[in-house]
Amino acid sequence: MKSLKINGESRDFPEGLPETLSALLDLLNINHATVVAEVDEKIIKRIQFSSTPLKSDQSIELVRFVGGG
Amino acid sequence: MKPFNEKLTRAVVGIAGLGGLGSMVATALARTCVGHLILCDFDQVEETNLNRQNYFLDQVGMNKVEASLVNLRRINPHITLEAHHGKLSPKDVPKVFKDAHVIAECFDKVDQKQWMAETVLSELTVPLVTGSGLAGIGRSNLIKTQVMSKRLIMVGDQVSDINLGLPLTAGRVWIVAAHQANAIVELLLE
Repeated sequence: MKSLKINGESRDFPEGLPETLSALLDLLNINHATVVAEVDEKIIKRIQFSSTPLKSDQSIELVRFVGGG
Repeated sequence: MKPFNEKLTRAVVGIAGLGGLGSMVATALARTCVGHLILCDFDQVEETNLNRQNYFLDQVGMNKVEASLVNLRRINPHITLEAHHGKLSPKDVPKVFKDAHVIAECFDKVDQKQWMAETVLSELTVPLVTGSGLAGIGRSNLIKTQVMSKRLIMVGDQVSDINLGLPLTAGRVWIVAAHQANAIVELLLE
């Protein structure tokens, strides 16, 4: 079974992994402008979300932001 | 004012945005005798800012960096202040904050918080102390300082978004700013 570790929790994708980080964020319903993403401890900039392929067992950290200051 | 720690007098802190968060973070750090502050903002003081930002009625119309220089020098003339008036973009960040030991993200808009965090984490080697989730009133004890990753510290309740139509009020915004200043001093003394 293909799976990803997202913020420390394992999640299975029985119908296949989202192809890219961008597709994963869309699946999770996360607005790209509100999240800083790390794949296997490497920061992936927003501009690279759609060109970052995902592989099974990768570890994804997502930090969400909300507005106001 | 007598610095309580020599490490702080040699420290450099970058502050991105001088609104409700940044104007108060800068004030707290000046009073704590943090030696060098790099201040960035593009905006002018407006009357509607006075409900939470550290400016005065007679400063309406002034650039926030200028008004901050005046106010911070009145508090502590012994620290150095470097001011950048203008819109910061991701490509400016490594240059403007190259000497900073810690950076405070004090922007208003969520996409700015996002690019600031990804830029500091990928292009610099210092910690970022960011504010996220501070709109509304009450619920003081939901505001927390959390270590999100090795160099990312997030202060706020992480959910109270201005886009939910919640107001920004002095008390709640200042709690976050005070947490940020406190986290920065702690990082500088590590």
